Amino acid sequence: MELWNKKFVGSVALSLTLLLAACSSDNGGSTTEPEDDDGGDTATEEQVEITYASGVDVTGATDILIEEFEKQNPNIKVNRREMPADTGASHDQYVTIFSSQSSEIDVFDADVIWPAEFAQGQYALELDRFIEEDGINMDDYFPGTVQSGNFNGRQYAMPMYTDAGLLFYRTDIVETPPKTWDELFEMAGSLQGEGGTEFGYLMQANQYEGMVCNAVEFIAAYGGGVVNENNEVIVNNPKTIAGIQKMIDFVNSDFVPRNILSFQETETNNAWVGGQAVFARNWPYMQSTSNDEAASEVAGNVGFSLLPSGDAGNAATLGGWMLMINRYSEQQEAAWEFVKFMSGPEGQKITAVEGGRAPTLEALYEDPEVQEAAALFANEEFVATLQNAVPRPVSPIYPQISNIMQVELSKALAGELTAEEAAANMQRDIESAMNE
Amino acid sequence: MNKRSLNEKQLGYVMVAPALLLVIVVILWPVAQSFYNSLFDYRLNDPSRSERFLQSNIDLERYANDFFYLSRDLDGLSEQAPDPDASEKVSEIGSELMGFHEELLAMDGVGEQYEIVEERIASFQAIADRDLKYSQVDNDFAESYKDFLTAAEADLTALVEASDDEEFSTAASNVAGSINSTNAAVIESNFIGLSNYGRYLQNPRMWQSLMNTTVFTVISVGAELVLGLLIALLINRVFIGRGIVRASVLIPWAIPTAVAAMMWGFLYDGQTGIVAHYFEQFGLINDASVLLSTASGGMFSIIFADVWKTTPYMALLLLAGLQTIPNTLYEAADVDGASKWQQFWKITLPLLKSAILVALLFRTLDAFRVFDLIFVLTGGGPANSTESISIYAYITLFSQQNFGAGSVLSVIVFLCVAIISIIFIKFVGSDLFAGRSGR
Repeated sequence: MELWNKKFVGSVALSLTLLLAACSSDNGGSTTEPEDDDGGDTATEEQVEITYASGVDVTGATDILIEEFEKQNPNIKVNRREMPADTGASHDQYVTIFSSQSSEIDVFDADVIWPAEFAQGQYALELDRFIEEDGINMDDYFPGTVQSGNFNGRQYAMPMYTDAGLLFYRTDIVETPPKTWDELFEMAGSLQGEGGTEFGYLMQANQYEGMVCNAVEFIAAYGGGVVNENNEVIVNNPKTIAGIQKMIDFVNSDFVPRNILSFQETETNNAWVGGQAVFARNWPYMQSTSNDEAASEVAGNVGFSLLPSGDAGNAATLGGWMLMINRYSEQQEAAWEFVKFMSGPEGQKITAVEGGRAPTLEALYEDPEVQEAAALFANEEFVATLQNAVPRPVSPIYPQISNIMQVELSKALAGELTAEEAAANMQRDIESAMNE
Repeated sequence: MNKRSLNEKQLGYVMVAPALLLVIVVILWPVAQSFYNSLFDYRLNDPSRSERFLQSNIDLERYANDFFYLSRDLDGLSEQAPDPDASEKVSEIGSELMGFHEELLAMDGVGEQYEIVEERIASFQAIADRDLKYSQVDNDFAESYKDFLTAAEADLTALVEASDDEEFSTAASNVAGSINSTNAAVIESNFIGLSNYGRYLQNPRMWQSLMNTTVFTVISVGAELVLGLLIALLINRVFIGRGIVRASVLIPWAIPTAVAAMMWGFLYDGQTGIVAHYFEQFGLINDASVLLSTASGGMFSIIFADVWKTTPYMALLLLAGLQTIPNTLYEAADVDGASKWQQFWKITLPLLKSAILVALLFRTLDAFRVFDLIFVLTGGGPANSTESISIYAYITLFSQQNFGAGSVLSVIVFLCVAIISIIFIKFVGSDLFAGRSGR
């Protein structure tokens, strides 16, 4: 017994020591200069290491980009750090990292809705000086993407690739895609069931960020808005209500799945490639998944067009990702070199060709290699959609605005509130959130 | 032994002192910290409220950076102005700004600190040292400086709107933006006392989430108690294959909650979910899709998944209680001619009381803080009908980085949990904790 006790105490003590040692070496690690890790070649030329954080990338384009960059800049080594695929989860991780003013990440991918918040929180570095120094012309980029990276007149993020909502349709069932939401409503109802389909239309109506994107499209198509350029809340107006009402009509129609309120992008994509629906609203990536013959039953029968229009034309929500630099990065200049490469024509071309993502540089759509990479990029309609994509409210408290919209819209879609009540509630709650 | 000056009682206190210290550090300290946070309007993503300031402060890093741009742009702006009135207005703002700036630098020690900070900024170094970054200033000064900056921004915006000259407008609105961020660098105290509590106690969403949590807790713990007791009674009997049954009953409890929630997500799915399908077949629900897409369906789904997941835990605790009941009592009852039913009510249940109370206490507290199951399965939807108070606190704290308000919600959770514990201990379980000798 005694022997056992001694052993036990001994092992506890040992493990505690190890634990402490681990902690202290961790602390030491973060303060040492990165050059030390390399050992040898610090003497010959100044070697720097930067860390690039980005979401899970199944296409492998990120690795090719880093390889190419390192080839051109032999003195900069890029370490990649993988973040969660879900944007909400990675947002929360970034916030935790940056609010402790850590320098562990130098460059990171940012969703288009983050720059204002990260700029105000002083997590990100303003890039104006760098942009001016290197003579980068921001007019080469799509205006909406540049605008989402701008806060209080300063540029905090460089656009890397962009996304916008599209209407997908089955070319074997539909001859000409609908032009207006009302036409779509009618066609989805009458074509439901043809060609082995079960549903007329698929969209994202779960209580989450994607539903806000859908709602913004309806609202903008009917001329409404949520927050205007002067940061005034304008959600409670007849046009916005008309948009929300249209969304409610779609959700409560017979031609959407009855569990549409639990649909996110994945559910939409799964049902779509299974050949269950005539129309669907999704991001451009569905073009490549639905033409993948191994996984899709509708390969070759899928077309896409602009989202239908309402009373005030059509609108697609702007998505996509930007590049930002951590304000507390110790290698800001190397970080900028990397950002410049990734967001420049060369980097974006690799992202487009290898990763199938839509460039934010307008000129790249003329490039034959890019056009070859995906049918989408050669399509003028698609480029027009990107040009006119509507950003979600640009605000440092966007997460809160989005959360309020999710709650109230979800209630309206579930039939607990009317469109008018939801708009009034959003007006009240967003206003009080902004005045805090 | 007599040399020691401590008597036995004092010695006893000395011996438990480390444990008490640990309790204070580990348990009370975080609660006190949360409570302290909740007294501030404390938001990580807003630089003017990203720390707890009892006094007015200047964020020198930000101030120096913005002032550099601001003074440069203001000089150029008055020359660009299309008419003399605007030009005069702009230079008036400029000179008043310089006045405030000089007053600030003349303050005790601020001048030197400002120089160091400026040097660091010019060499692109971020400032992590809090003492260097912030400088305390007089409350009145901060207030008048902020008033001036707010007015100046409004004036400039008015000039922008009145002017037709596009170049001037852009330049002026850039300056207005810089003034705005300079304004944010002048920080007034964000101590707000208990007013956050006032706000959240009147917040319908808070009450709704508290209500959701209570409904979830009462129904799921109730169902778990009944089912757990039945299972415990079953696996307490001797039968062939008891070992396998005992082990397999524990499987749901062994699965990580997040995994179980994902799994139930697939099972409940309105199109492909097998559970949803059979519920529809048996007429329990009128449509397979209601489980995850209606308010009541969502609540039912999380309760059902929770019952599935934690009934084994309940059963295990109750089984441990059952095994402490001596068999002789049942033998004596048999001799006296009591029926099985009577034995259950007169022997099993009374002797199981303490085990039931412990199990109930654990489960109630656990269920009241439910987070992971709901977060993964429904995310609080549909129509916010399954948002528990912990989910609401998480959204406020981490997604919105509102530490003050999030701490209020955390303190409310803590208070509820404390009240539940007190009720359990005081009214139901007094004999359990007062020692068993009295019974």
